[in-house]
Amino acid sequence: MTEAGFTARVTQLRAIAWVRWRLFVNSLRTRRGKLDLISRGIVWLGFAIVGIGGAAGMGVAAFFFVWEGKAGLLTVLLWPIFLFWQVFPIMATAFTNNPDSTDLLRFPLNYVSYFLVRLAYGSADPATALGGLWSFGILLGVGFARPSLLPWMLLVLLAFAAFNLVLMQTIFAWVERWLSRRRTREVMGILFLLLLLSVQLIAPLIGYFTTQSRPAVHRFGEILIQGQKYFPPGLASRSIAQISASQWRAGFGSLVLLCAFVFAVGYCLHLRLLAQYRGESLSETSAKPVLPQDRRLRLGWNLPGFASPVAAVFEKEIRSLLRSGPMLLTLIMPIFMLIIFRFGPMNYVRQPGTAFPGHTPGTAFPAAAGFALLTLTNLIYNNFGGDGNGIQFFYACPVRFRDIVLAKNVTHASVLVMETAVVWVVVISLFGKPTISLTIATLAGLVFAAAVNFSVGNVLSIYSPKKFDYSTFGRQRASQITVLISMAVQILVVGMAVGSFWIARHYGNYRIANLILVMLVVISLFAYRAVLRHIDRVAQERQEMMVAELCRA
Amino acid sequence: MDAAPTICTQSLTRRFGEFVAVDGIDLRVSRGQFFGFLGPNGAGKSTTIEMLTGLLAPSTGRIEILGMDLAAHPVEVKQQIGVVPEGMSLFGRLTGSEFLNFAGRMYGLDRETAARRTVELLDFMHLADQPKKLVTDYSHGMQKKLAMAAAVIHGPKVLFLDEPFEGVDAIAAGTLKAMLQGMIARGATIFLTSHVLEIVERLCTHVAIIHQGRLVAQGSLEELRAGVEARAPLQGEGSRSSGEKMTLEQIFLRTVGGMSPTDQELSWLG
Repeated sequence: MTEAGFTARVTQLRAIAWVRWRLFVNSLRTRRGKLDLISRGIVWLGFAIVGIGGAAGMGVAAFFFVWEGKAGLLTVLLWPIFLFWQVFPIMATAFTNNPDSTDLLRFPLNYVSYFLVRLAYGSADPATALGGLWSFGILLGVGFARPSLLPWMLLVLLAFAAFNLVLMQTIFAWVERWLSRRRTREVMGILFLLLLLSVQLIAPLIGYFTTQSRPAVHRFGEILIQGQKYFPPGLASRSIAQISASQWRAGFGSLVLLCAFVFAVGYCLHLRLLAQYRGESLSETSAKPVLPQDRRLRLGWNLPGFASPVAAVFEKEIRSLLRSGPMLLTLIMPIFMLIIFRFGPMNYVRQPGTAFPGHTPGTAFPAAAGFALLTLTNLIYNNFGGDGNGIQFFYACPVRFRDIVLAKNVTHASVLVMETAVVWVVVISLFGKPTISLTIATLAGLVFAAAVNFSVGNVLSIYSPKKFDYSTFGRQRASQITVLISMAVQILVVGMAVGSFWIARHYGNYRIANLILVMLVVISLFAYRAVLRHIDRVAQERQEMMVAELCRA
Repeated sequence: MDAAPTICTQSLTRRFGEFVAVDGIDLRVSRGQFFGFLGPNGAGKSTTIEMLTGLLAPSTGRIEILGMDLAAHPVEVKQQIGVVPEGMSLFGRLTGSEFLNFAGRMYGLDRETAARRTVELLDFMHLADQPKKLVTDYSHGMQKKLAMAAAVIHGPKVLFLDEPFEGVDAIAAGTLKAMLQGMIARGATIFLTSHVLEIVERLCTHVAIIHQGRLVAQGSLEELRAGVEARAPLQGEGSRSSGEKMTLEQIFLRTVGGMSPTDQELSWLG
């Protein structure tokens, strides 16, 4: 690269950094922007507490592992960091922010610069910050235990962090690519159904092996423990262990293998980014001409008991949702949560029957149903985010906003009902059948939580809307005010629900919980109705701000 | 002119903080008129059209559409009008067919009528070839045609169009013009803004010009021409022979004072 070329590249990168800074500063011009900054500060404070607390804990653990001469046990710390780094961004899209850097491609940006910009955008993320902090804690712990290991530890952790960073970006880029095709989504849907069916077979199989053939389970565990050594978290800890045992060549070899992982994953990311750089378009469909006989009349959906516009908006919402791959992926998370709790390591550290939620359908069903509602908060608290310019259509057409909001709530409620039903089936398959009174209490709690979330969500959707493309992964962030208020609502709702369960448990009678929750349901439904009754006026008052915010390019 | 105009505004004003975007304009558009609303960039055209369609509340002033007060009867007015705003207001994750079906039902059509008109409009607009294509994957011109189709699916009596021909190819523009002229022939009223003055001159029977938020001219093309010539007789415009009519572009430039090209030269441009 010539010096002039290098200078030009640095100038470009500086310009991009400056633009990001100006965008941030300009966002503070509005009152909402300032409130957003405060909310973001509070959220980041929470992350900081978790990050620093976790770093301290990890540091202490790392110190003792190395002090005791068991550096290989560092893998126990690195695997959770690795899993958090990769899973958290997908599960909490509200906190992830990876601005769409493809906008920059209109400028004569060099590919290397584009690659670096993508990585830099991806680094500004809570998962990276927390993962980095925890890794730093481990570094300090090891450093205090054996200062001579510090330089090597730094090298290994840098490689480990690079791997996590690159892998996260690669997962986003590739999953987005796969889910952009309808056919792929259909294949994934079938795979998911197969998974649900196979889940029913897993429980008896595990039961069979754990009761009939414990050695087989131990053998499987041994294979897992041996196998993890060849993956990045295992390689990183092994490298440290080998160096601490003065096995220089082996330690270096493990680090080289770790770096090979970084380069392999980086190459996959390179393939994706290069395609983007060359102007790839993730078009939904190929341009196949339609045959004349296909042009038949397709009637819109009918929703019994609801007005035609409500049915029309419901149909539109469902169709849009079915075409939003990342959102669909988020919606199946409760099932994965159940599977992880059932077969994950947490289940084996305690005796069956005592682990949470272990083998108890009594806790698994409420927890998974609650999580099902949580996965919908992105939609519930930003009702119009996915509509973008379409908000003008809602304001231009002769339909009351109340009907439009009602239709969106009906959509989200339908998805929640469907999810809860699936969760119930999976809980029965994995944990056993929850009691009837517990099922009723959970459903009552869910209706209460849904009504509260819908009420607050409807108001926030109008007061604090944010344009959102539900077809892309992690390139956007919900309004921080919305995130903060929704968190407060969840704490309140969960607190009240858990409180009623606790009282019921205390008296050994779930019917008490049912009674309390039914009362809460009635109150929350009244509140929901009151909000809906005033939503036309609120939407009218906030019309200008809504259009300005959602039609923004 | 009708006693009761289809569109009537009184002292319509819109302020954004200290800035006055539209400053007390009085518009009168009669039934069956093809009305062109012109102005330079930032003059207040889109703001006016947004206020006329209920997309933006006026700061002061009154709007009547088809004899109904827009502020008092927004739903009733919206049932009678169609609008293609600047941002086109489409839903990207629907197909064209799904969007039109949806629009028809939101404007009160029953399911069968909405479905039938959807098929007819897709055919008419030459959008039926790729039924599974999502709106987000449409070209700009296709999106414009789809927005236009959605605006007329309920057979509105008044149609508001913000730059309807922008980004539309010549064939599609011809189709749209034929459709709009057909609507006028059947008694509808069309209110459009456009920067393409040739199109406005060819289509519109009446024109209003807005400049810096104020209405500076309003009337038929002949009335505007006469007004401009009366205010400032022609001086040395060699390109026009005596007796030749003044074009809309000349009327526009004289009205808004845009005849002074800058002396500054960008010498670094190739």
